[in-house]
Amino acid sequence: MDQSEIDALLAGGGKPSKKPKAAAKAPAPAPAAVPAPAPAAPRRPSLDEPQKDGSGHVISELDTVTSVTERESNKVMDQLDQISRLVSRQQQLITDMMTHEGAQSPGAQQAIHEVMSAGKEIQDKVFEAMDLMQFQDITRQKLERIVHHLRQIHDYIVDLLGTGLKSESERPSISHTIAQTGTTPDENKAHADAVIEAFKSQKKG
Amino acid sequence: MKILIVDDSSTMRRIIINTLSRIGYTDVVEGENGKSGLEKLGQGGVEMIITDWNMPEMDGLEFVKTVRGQNPAIPILMVTTNAAKEDIVEALQAGVNNYVVKPFTPETLKEKIESLLG
Repeated sequence: MDQSEIDALLAGGGKPSKKPKAAAKAPAPAPAAVPAPAPAAPRRPSLDEPQKDGSGHVISELDTVTSVTERESNKVMDQLDQISRLVSRQQQLITDMMTHEGAQSPGAQQAIHEVMSAGKEIQDKVFEAMDLMQFQDITRQKLERIVHHLRQIHDYIVDLLGTGLKSESERPSISHTIAQTGTTPDENKAHADAVIEAFKSQKKG
Repeated sequence: MKILIVDDSSTMRRIIINTLSRIGYTDVVEGENGKSGLEKLGQGGVEMIITDWNMPEMDGLEFVKTVRGQNPAIPILMVTTNAAKEDIVEALQAGVNNYVVKPFTPETLKEKIESLLG
């Protein structure tokens, strides 16, 4: 089994390809509708460039997924930022309106207060949605773990067969201990606080 | 108060920046890994650091150890997915002052920052 066959095996997850080497080494077709990603951390590959070390289309695909989700998450954040700014502007306009001569009747003041209150609720929901975007980073780190394991398998096969593929050294370290899916932020906090307290007590003692 | 945020996820940096601005901290500098974090720190004025753990080039633990070699006093908060007790202890031993596991709430971040600054 040569390098192209190892790559093809990782790409397909099944039997090694019997394609000619040149075909097996050909880069994966780039997703046509997806534009180039926004600048991010240096390890992220361009969407239309396969990994230079040819270490497998599976890894390349996973990198693409993380790049695309990060880019799209930032677009969602842009939209939320814009909504937040618009709501702030609206609140300011309503505040100005409250002092207007024609808005002094109790009915008008009551209506204005209700609009202000609804605006604040929208603002709170926007902030809540922004906080929920943390899922992108957590999912990305879970994918990094999968990539890490794939690379270990890849490197093992390469070592076994004596070919000379180099490992990529620019990936982030991976989290071996991501909190279980479904763990709430409050549970995370309670856990971390308990460990910190125990650590501090031990240090004092 | 200038705060340095070191995280390779631009989304996460934005979330932290948003949270900070809601609790009154708007002077923020960003680094996308430990190496660029050290560069930003070297430019001066940073009074507090919020760092991730898992990053390319230089991870958060190495970054914290390097910072502590130069500056034993600056408050450092680690915000990471690493949730195991051993990880938290390792980070505390490396020199972080407090630790937040992702996902977190804005209230948690606020509480941790205020405890570090108080």
